[in-house]
Amino acid sequence: MDPNHYLVLSGMLFTIGAIGFLVRRNAIVAFMCVELMLNACNLALVTFSSHWGVLDGQVASFFVMVVAAAEVVVGLAIIVSIYRTRRSASVDDANLLKL
Amino acid sequence: MVDMIEPPSLEYLRLLPLLLVFGGACLGVLVEAVLPRRSRWGAQVGLTFLTLVVTAVVTVLGWRAGDVGVSALGSVTVDHPAYFSWTALVVLAALSLLLFTERRLNGGVSAFAPQAAAVPGSVDEELAIRARTEHSEVYPLALFSLFGMMLFVASNDLLILFVALEILSLPLYLMCALARRRRLLSQEAGLKYFLLGALASAFFLYGVAMLFGYAGTFTLAGIDQAVAAGAGSEWLLLAGMAGISVGLLFKVGAVPFHSWTPDVYTGAPTAVTALMAACTKVAAVVALLRVLYVGLGGLRWDWQPLMAAVAVVTMAVGSLLAITQDDVKRMLAYSSVTHAGFMLTAVAGASTGEGARQLSSVGSTLFYLVAYGVASVGAFAVVTLVRDRNGEASRLQDWAGLGRRHPWLAAAFSVFMLSFAGIPLTSGFIAKLGVFESAWSGGYPWVVVVGVVLSLVAAYFYLRVVVTLYFADPQPRSGQGGQAAQAPAGAADATPATGPAADGDGARGGALATEVRTAGAPAAVSSAGEVGVGRASVATYGAVVAAVVVTVVFGLLPGPLLDLALQAGVFLR
Amino acid sequence: MVTGASVAFWLLAPVMVLAALGMVLARKAVHSALCLAAVMVALAVQYAALDAPFLFAVQIIVYTGAILMLFLFVVMLVGVESSDSLVETLKGQRVYAVLVGIGLVVMLVVATGNALVGDPVGVAGPNSEHGGNVQGLAALLFVRYVWAFEATSALLITAAVGAMVLTHRERLVKKQDQRERAAARMRAYAESGVHPGPLPTPGVFARHNSVDTPALLPDGSAAESSVSATLRARSSIRTPAELTAPMAARQAELSADQPAQPGIGHGPDPRLKAPVDQKDADLSDEERI
Repeated sequence: MDPNHYLVLSGMLFTIGAIGFLVRRNAIVAFMCVELMLNACNLALVTFSSHWGVLDGQVASFFVMVVAAAEVVVGLAIIVSIYRTRRSASVDDANLLKL
Repeated sequence: MVDMIEPPSLEYLRLLPLLLVFGGACLGVLVEAVLPRRSRWGAQVGLTFLTLVVTAVVTVLGWRAGDVGVSALGSVTVDHPAYFSWTALVVLAALSLLLFTERRLNGGVSAFAPQAAAVPGSVDEELAIRARTEHSEVYPLALFSLFGMMLFVASNDLLILFVALEILSLPLYLMCALARRRRLLSQEAGLKYFLLGALASAFFLYGVAMLFGYAGTFTLAGIDQAVAAGAGSEWLLLAGMAGISVGLLFKVGAVPFHSWTPDVYTGAPTAVTALMAACTKVAAVVALLRVLYVGLGGLRWDWQPLMAAVAVVTMAVGSLLAITQDDVKRMLAYSSVTHAGFMLTAVAGASTGEGARQLSSVGSTLFYLVAYGVASVGAFAVVTLVRDRNGEASRLQDWAGLGRRHPWLAAAFSVFMLSFAGIPLTSGFIAKLGVFESAWSGGYPWVVVVGVVLSLVAAYFYLRVVVTLYFADPQPRSGQGGQAAQAPAGAADATPATGPAADGDGARGGALATEVRTAGAPAAVSSAGEVGVGRASVATYGAVVAAVVVTVVFGLLPGPLLDLALQAGVFLR
Repeated sequence: MVTGASVAFWLLAPVMVLAALGMVLARKAVHSALCLAAVMVALAVQYAALDAPFLFAVQIIVYTGAILMLFLFVVMLVGVESSDSLVETLKGQRVYAVLVGIGLVVMLVVATGNALVGDPVGVAGPNSEHGGNVQGLAALLFVRYVWAFEATSALLITAAVGAMVLTHRERLVKKQDQRERAAARMRAYAESGVHPGPLPTPGVFARHNSVDTPALLPDGSAAESSVSATLRARSSIRTPAELTAPMAARQAELSADQPAQPGIGHGPDPRLKAPVDQKDADLSDEERI
């Protein structure tokens, strides 16, 4: 199996993610596109790891997953707080409607 | 049979500054969990500043002892540039954090959202405002960010660099979204910064992967060796360099990747903006220098023209767009872009600084970072002080004639502006001289010529602010007579100081808010929207005074700082 | 030579590219998330083919199972039905994006197309050095990269604190329990005579039972409390006069025909055609129905 194939696949996925980020305006989908880009990077890292015969690339890929997890939490928290604000059709008043 | 892993040994003493900041941040989170709400704010302030002072002392001790070397099993390089930037980061972060502690301006509450989870304008938010809750989590978050920055400037391999990039960014994304006033704007700033930052770090990571593919290792030294050996695909190397440069230039705020800067700087709470402007710039520029000089030094013929082009475009776009701004905060954001351009001239020069008299590119950039960082913290501190009833009044026309009513404050702001403009007798002048000299001796005289021309353009808009401060007539704000604008400052001062939650966001006209507001509003204030100078606590004044003193002293006597920068001129490989 | 790795690659690579395109092109966020899940699972298989069994598991368990599911949660939270509008806000943005994308893909494919020359070393050696892939990773993670490993804790703490700050709403006012609420109601009844029971429902005794129609009291006036305060504030409720008008009209009509039988307000009721005795006519509408 030629490792270059993996790299080409990784490059394509990365590019699709980048295009998606530029095209989509839904914040969640744009963020998914970033995740796709990170996944593409991971594939490249693991491929290079196998090419060089060292495990560093796999460790790096593992770190990327940790970082992505933290980033997702923060990002989605920000997105949720914005969505809450924008749909603020005064949901709080609902408490006062009926006893 | 499973063999045992040899436990690693770390240079704890040398890494102590990093560990202290990290420990302080963790303790801060614990304080948040353990202490009752009332005593949290004071405890956090105490803990944070204790951490910063101890860290500064430990850093300076280590620096004086010359305790340098590659540490933490090759992850962290502690060298003179690292010590220099650690000290600068801690000091600048301390100055910005002084602005975090300001409560007097807001009538006894901090400038951060009372409850970030409450929808703006909702009953929940009113309740939170009434209960005077505060998010004291910003202190541990700021310390985490500082930890990330300190790690960022000292990282010796690309993996640490990536992790540190995220550690410094995530708390900033969060803090951007936490402003007390204009929360929609602030949340939007947080989202924008987050999305673009995530994109930039994805590019950065792709660059890391490519360089790993080229060299088979993540360490900067290993990459340098691989570049010197010249084996492997040139394309991988170039793709790697491009990806990493995109990620770092985004954090620096250089031009193709600057579009987040004005929006985020404007939307974020001003104290956070000060932290971003001063500290993030230090971290990003030093990391860029380290990657380019240590890791990709063999490729300098490839990246030097690139950096020169980016520097020129950054200077031009930053200064030309800054002229068109009529909002002080936004103008300062574009000014930060412009200064990124000035720093990049030295980066492009890659001068090694012949002899003991001349600064290398690293040294001159470090000096520039300190001069710029201090002045920008000071400038943002002044922005927090000029207020009307709705909070900060950052429109430039609101500042007209401020010099006559508040000569000291206007003088301080003028010092910062002059330093930004690079007028002699301020530290900005020495700094600009240094970076241009580096670019010149690095073989980029045309960049220097363009830089000088553009710094004249930049000087125009800085001086325009000074002129507005002193010579422009205050314009009546819409809906009020000139009488309101010229009212004695004392009356305007009273509003923010005495109204317990004088929060005039138009959107929130709920009965609760009106009740709260009218209860505290003094009868002396006739109409909304007089621009005055709020009465701040010692902390903000202290930050302004310190920034003025540093700017002027390093302008008159740059010797000691220049010596340090001279000493910190070379990265440890 | 056909190996398992190449079979996996040629089977799954087209799927991955298509799923990635699907993620970008799907209009609904849920579909995007599911497409991304497909990419991730297929990627896990590639990891397995590249001798990274640990990452294979982590990719499925953590990336797909936890991170992506978080995405799905949020998609559900903010509205599964919301789909992007296809209107371009920035003119020509899509064209530029596609041009940039094509440039990028050409650059990356050229850069990586035959970047690696020579046979890959493979990680079989390092995998067996410590007795397995997981052990080998552990040896690196806890020795060479221990500093990065420790530093990531800062990330995780930040994420936890951030999620709490932005989404956890602290209760500032003590929540009333049922006993307290009941006591308050009875106190209000004792002090000011406020009715302690449930409020009347809208539309009772009237021609409609929609929420904006107040119930009618026996004297023909409207029961204000039967309509929610919000609707009352918006003043979009029907007035009693508006409601009683048709009834009054019919009443007048009927009283013109049959002066002996006042008070019948309904439309043509088949029973009305039959001779009605006096007792029935006295009943109110509801009792008759």
